[in-house]
Amino acid sequence: MAAPLELSCWGGGWGLPSVHSESLVVMAYAKFSGAPLKVNVIDNTWRGSRGDVPILTTEDNIVSQPAKILNFLRKQKYNADYELSARQGADTLAYIALLEEKLLPAVLHTFWVENDNYFTVTKPWFASRIPFPLSLILPGRMSKGALNRILLTRGEPPLYHLQEVEAQIYRDAKECLNLLSHRLGTSQFFFGDMPSTLDAYVFGFLAPLYKVRFPKVQLQEHLKQLSNLCRFCDDILNSYFRHSLGAFSCVNRNQQQTDFGEASLLLDKKRSMPICRNSPSL
Amino acid sequence: MSLVAEAFVSQIAAAEPWPENATLYQQLKGEQILLSDNAASLAVQAFLQMCNLPIKVVCRANAEYMSPSGKVPFIHVGNQVVSELGPIVQFVKAKGHSLSDGLDEVQKAEMKAYMELVNNMLLTAELYLQWCDEATVGEITHARYGSPYPWPLNHILAYQKQWEVRRKMKAIGWGKKTLDQVLEDVDQCCQALSQRLGTQPYFFNKQPTELDALVFGHLYTILTTQLTSDELSEKVKNYSNLLAFCRRIEQHYFEDRGKGCLPQHGLPRGAMSAPRI
Repeated sequence: MAAPLELSCWGGGWGLPSVHSESLVVMAYAKFSGAPLKVNVIDNTWRGSRGDVPILTTEDNIVSQPAKILNFLRKQKYNADYELSARQGADTLAYIALLEEKLLPAVLHTFWVENDNYFTVTKPWFASRIPFPLSLILPGRMSKGALNRILLTRGEPPLYHLQEVEAQIYRDAKECLNLLSHRLGTSQFFFGDMPSTLDAYVFGFLAPLYKVRFPKVQLQEHLKQLSNLCRFCDDILNSYFRHSLGAFSCVNRNQQQTDFGEASLLLDKKRSMPICRNSPSL
Repeated sequence: MSLVAEAFVSQIAAAEPWPENATLYQQLKGEQILLSDNAASLAVQAFLQMCNLPIKVVCRANAEYMSPSGKVPFIHVGNQVVSELGPIVQFVKAKGHSLSDGLDEVQKAEMKAYMELVNNMLLTAELYLQWCDEATVGEITHARYGSPYPWPLNHILAYQKQWEVRRKMKAIGWGKKTLDQVLEDVDQCCQALSQRLGTQPYFFNKQPTELDALVFGHLYTILTTQLTSDELSEKVKNYSNLLAFCRRIEQHYFEDRGKGCLPQHGLPRGAMSAPRI
């Protein structure tokens, strides 16, 4: 009997099992490879740590970072890439590098740096899942970390103003989305009929961008025009995450009906509902 | 650059043909240039050779500061200055020369993805090795980076650059990696490149593209640069088709043309003498 695998990650909303890209990558891979994961959603009690999320815990190991967690799962014989050829495996690495270099800065910017989005959506959401007084500090720190990463990797001369950096990263992200759309074409998954690691990564990066309701939505609008990528995300949500979506629909319904200023209050109220606290094991 | 500025530059670029006196600037070959910069410079030289465009290589101690983006190499063509492989490829395309026109959309996506893989893994590993590995920093990097400057400027500049690179490594999550993990990543990257290349002469079969130039630049430099240990070049040597690939490009685009502007004299081991302390 395999040791129980527990995953600590950020929770879901807007129809997603998690709104955090890296957590979503791991959850999707676990579904694709059939790994029995018990998901512990981070809530605002002091239980569990919040740094370096997602974290996989087994009896003897603690593994963080999606790449390492996926490697660990593969070593435990939960391999979603079994059917891939050597060349497709190489393509996987290359496309993941493309996602991290071209798409990730814009996703980080949309969630954590763009002021309207950060203060109305991201900060209240995360703050409601972090215990006081850490909830006053941690979201700000995560936001600064994101801005830092963007400026250090892309903010080099001749781009001296933040607006120029922003323009460049959004251009790169749109180009990356177009490339992914070309590569996906009309197939169901990136390598044929079975989902693999690359599908998990693309889903993890695209789904939050696709589903979370933001005030400033330029990248989301571009993504919605690429219908095959939207269909890709919806297919995976419907096929692999249908059962757990019931638990999140209570949050989802209320968010659709109110404006964002009240979303955090509602999330606080939902804390006491049992169905949202104990998320079912995936 | 904003869209308008880019369109403007493209227009100007397209107006004039490639001149005979185009020059490429990099740091001093023998004493100053580092592994990552040498790889970048060689990639651009290989790309221009593949496009059949003449270029003269000029070595200057302050090349990094002359460059518009702070990175080497940069080319001076007519009255324009363009740095780094990506913008140079765009610039050359505006002048009507392109290596990747024959590729379809899916192949172009693959090419861009593999170029990002090389930048993400190989280039970052080179930077890590140069600036975050204590042995290499102490023995090679500090001495080379500050060599054209008098004391104390040589130390100050070297420490400043080291601090900058370490900050960037920390931001992208490489700060906590050990040397072994970095070498693992290099191995993974080389394995991916080797599997993609297979038995073909170039990555997109018969004709080389900018991806071939980039891979050649990095692999050749890794193979022919003497570092404190051989571990990095050993990782590349494990893949015979990559070695054959480098040899093929070296023979076809550098030796046959009589250009001989490669800093080293052939594979497997050249003489890039680093002044050891």
